[in-house]
Amino acid sequence: MRDDLLDPRAVLLHESAPDRDAAIRRCGRALVEVGAVAEPYVEAMLDRERTISTYVGEEVAIPHGTAASKEDVKRDAICVVRFPGGVDWDGERVTLCVGIAAKGDGHVPLLAELAEILLDPDRARTLREATQVSQIMKELT
Amino acid sequence: MAGIDSKDIHKIIVACDAGMGSSVMLASTLKKQLKGTGVTVEHTPVDSIPADADVVLCHSGLAARARAAAPGKPLVAFQIFLGDPAVTKLVDAIKNGGTVDA
Repeated sequence: MRDDLLDPRAVLLHESAPDRDAAIRRCGRALVEVGAVAEPYVEAMLDRERTISTYVGEEVAIPHGTAASKEDVKRDAICVVRFPGGVDWDGERVTLCVGIAAKGDGHVPLLAELAEILLDPDRARTLREATQVSQIMKELT
Repeated sequence: MAGIDSKDIHKIIVACDAGMGSSVMLASTLKKQLKGTGVTVEHTPVDSIPADADVVLCHSGLAARARAAAPGKPLVAFQIFLGDPAVTKLVDAIKNGGTVDA
C-alpha cells in the first residue's frame, strides 16, 4: 500500500453537511487541501454524481470526478469524510464519504479493501463509527 | 433478452465512465469471487470495451452508452455496486453452471 494515498489530514471525522452537494464539496476541498487535485475537480465530482450516484451501500458513498477531469488530478489520493448526522443521498442515508482522485491505479488496492469492509456489516459499522483518525488508517491501509 | 451459457464466459468487463471509483470496487470484488474459475475480470471505460469480452457489466445509467459502444455484446446492467442481485446471479451461474440473461 502506498502511504501517500491517504493523508491523515484528509481524514475528517466530525463534519456535517445540509445536502449531498455540500458533502461532495467538503470531500473535494479535502482533496484540494492536501494538494491532490486542482480546484475544478470539485465541480467534476458534482457532475459525476448527477450522472450516476456513487452510493455503494452501508451508508457509504465514494464521490469522484469524471474521465475528463483526470487532468485536474495531480496524484492518486483519497479522503475520508464522516458525517455523523447523516446526509440525504438521493433517498439513501450516507454517513461516510470516501472521496477519490485517481490518475492511475494506485488507489485500486485501497478500494478493494473498502469493498471487503463494506461486504462485512460489522467491519462496515466499525469504519462508519470511527472517531479516531488512527482507526480509519488502520482499517483502510 | 438473449441468454449466454455461463461456460462461454471467459472474460467479464466492468464498464465505467471514469474508471476510478465504483466500477473498480466491483471489479475487485468479482475477481475475488471468481478466483479459481478461470474467468478474468477487467474494468475499462465504457467507450473502449475490448472485442474479446464475453459479458459486459455496467451500471444501468451507463447501459445505453455501453450498448452503443459494443453492439450485440451480452450486457448485464446493475443498480447497486455491491451486492446487486444481477451480479450475484452471474457469479452463481459461472460457479454452478447455467444461463445468464444478458
